Amino acid sequence: MSDINAQIAEAPAAVAGGQGTVKDYFALLKPRVMSLVIFTAFVGIIAAPGTLHPWLAFVALLAIAVGAGAAGALNMWYDADIDAVMKRTAKRPVPAGAVTPSEALGFGMVLAVGSVLVLGLLVNVLAGALLAFTIFFYIAIYTMWLKRLTPQNIVIGGAAGAFPPMVGWVSVTGSIDLGSIALFLIIFTWTPPHFWALALWKKINADYSNAGVPMLPVVAGTDETRRQILLYSLLLFPVTLFPALTGTVGWLYLVANIALGVVFIWHAWRVYRIREGQEAEIACKKLFGFSTMWLFIVFALILVERAIGLPSFAPVFG
Amino acid sequence: MTNQPFGPEDMARRKKRALAMALILVALAVLFFVTTIVRLGGSVAMRSM
Repeated sequence: MSDINAQIAEAPAAVAGGQGTVKDYFALLKPRVMSLVIFTAFVGIIAAPGTLHPWLAFVALLAIAVGAGAAGALNMWYDADIDAVMKRTAKRPVPAGAVTPSEALGFGMVLAVGSVLVLGLLVNVLAGALLAFTIFFYIAIYTMWLKRLTPQNIVIGGAAGAFPPMVGWVSVTGSIDLGSIALFLIIFTWTPPHFWALALWKKINADYSNAGVPMLPVVAGTDETRRQILLYSLLLFPVTLFPALTGTVGWLYLVANIALGVVFIWHAWRVYRIREGQEAEIACKKLFGFSTMWLFIVFALILVERAIGLPSFAPVFG
Repeated sequence: MTNQPFGPEDMARRKKRALAMALILVALAVLFFVTTIVRLGGSVAMRSM
């Protein structure tokens, strides 16, 4: 935090605060991440056995979205020093001086407490507690502790991004079932190959290196990162099929995901094999792009099955 | 970015933030009211008088 504090000390207007626009505060919520959280949480709500009044489902989604936004704002508060030295993040509201660190902290805390209270009191207590844990995990475990400490930051920190469908599920059932754990595991296992594909891009890798963030390509090298990407992609294949065993999905999901999983592994294999030149960069970009679309399709398939009334498999366990 | 915290631009930004805050507060009031009705559900109509 020291670097950004020094920069801000040189900018009297920023120290005074009150300079941020509504747009700046909206940017603190990381709206792109928030949209993914809303989508996966919505799938969690739809996939869960049981029913929830549509208004309460809306309230749950809203609280989860605001909770995710709070986590984003708190992340930008704490990471302002490294955001300032990375080209990709230098224009974020805090390093740009539009919002002071204390304003970002206050904004994030108010939203975090508010979203947890709303979900806990208006929907159910366990869902609220799980949302609180998610925000805590993202800020304290990932942002404050692991991100700057270990190249495994993404692996463990990925859990924070994997919780939203579980929170959505728990909003309906009031309990953490195997079906919700299956959805959690999909995002958890998907996160490392997705983000490491991004981290392998030369300019992104240089960004992390300059900021001193121990991302896997920076610490262990690009060859090891490519090997880990392939291993996690292979692991992701059976993990994606786990919801079939818990009775959460049916044939459409199963067949489509076998095909999608093969394509995912093929992209990961290309990243593993092609290591030099422009082709290697393109392979990484293709894996990153495909993995983003892959996650959307995997979760959208659950919605499609529910929408057309396809029956799910009988649960093997769960 | 200006060093005069209460210039016209600052006042305009402040006004927009205040308006956004007001809208959020109204939305919260609606949220709590509707949720209360939804959670009470039929219990209100079914209660003994």
